[in-house]
Amino acid sequence: MNSQLIEQLRLRLGANGLPYEIPMHPKLVHLTLGLFIIAILFDIAGAIFPIERPIFKFLGLTAIRSSFFDVGWYNLLGAAVVTFFTVGFGFFELLLANPPVNQKSDWGLNASWTMLLHGLGGVVLLGAIVAMTVWRGWQRYHSRQVQWSYLLVGMAMLGLLYVHGTLGGQLGGEFGIHVTAAKLIQEGINPNWLPK
Amino acid sequence: MLALMLNSKGLPYSDPIHPIIVHFVIAMVFFSFFCDVVGYFSRNVRFLEVSFWNMLVAAIAIFVAIIVGQLEAGLAQVYPAVQPTLNFHTVMGWSLGAFVAGMTAWRFVIRNRHPQKLPPAYLGVATVLVCLVFLQVYLGSKLFWVYGLHVKPVVEAMQPGISP
Repeated sequence: MNSQLIEQLRLRLGANGLPYEIPMHPKLVHLTLGLFIIAILFDIAGAIFPIERPIFKFLGLTAIRSSFFDVGWYNLLGAAVVTFFTVGFGFFELLLANPPVNQKSDWGLNASWTMLLHGLGGVVLLGAIVAMTVWRGWQRYHSRQVQWSYLLVGMAMLGLLYVHGTLGGQLGGEFGIHVTAAKLIQEGINPNWLPK
Repeated sequence: MLALMLNSKGLPYSDPIHPIIVHFVIAMVFFSFFCDVVGYFSRNVRFLEVSFWNMLVAAIAIFVAIIVGQLEAGLAQVYPAVQPTLNFHTVMGWSLGAFVAGMTAWRFVIRNRHPQKLPPAYLGVATVLVCLVFLQVYLGSKLFWVYGLHVKPVVEAMQPGISP
């Protein structure tokens, strides 16, 4: 964002461009992705339960199909709640981003396109996760079955999340956005002077 | 020779994998604890089951995370300021591997013997685990977001011949 606009916010920004040491968005992303991915995987495991039953028997692990669907449902619900915070912090940190403008990512995109796609994608994915939670909740309380169409959409979502997550990873890993050492190097300061 | 195979982030593959695997440790340990607390106070067995399966996923994922983490730590541009944090993160990682495996085994026994109940002692130790995972997430975040390990501009600046 425009540096004069940022100044008007009167935030005490550190060397990483944020008012705190560690970006919050990537931390919350762990929760969104972990909960969402495991929710879909457990629903799939519930759907094909007869196939894996002998494996659990062999492992001596008591497994009930309905508890797999419970994991699918509650993990998804958790993901939906957490993702509001993930996207909220994401936008805050995106607005404070100050990436190099003369660089391209592994995917051939510059920083502005990567930020734009990752920001818009975040809103779309939040909407999709909430919609899937409503859909999943409806299935849970009306038919007690998880539909194959839901699982297929879930698998497609995993693909979208992979693309989206890689774009986000490139913002930190390639453009060095909110990476303290990258900022110091840019200013010609040795990152070895960072506190241990 | 090996250096030739590494990309601009100092890795033999496009992006660090360790931070992706840890999704399934961080999210699952925290959510397992959350479900335990809800299950304990609401006496709803369903939450205890959800907690158990999440913990089992965490126990499997943490060993993958440690192995990939060791590989990526070995390939990292470790300059002197980073070393103490990386060492602390490594020791914590292996310790947490043992801790999570132990908790999952304990949980497995509890579930087999008294599936309806969760002993308060388990909840107490799980609280300690959650705090340690918090600390570990902080240390790991510091390695990437503060010191810039496997971050392209930092890796490039650390190439031999270029200061610092």
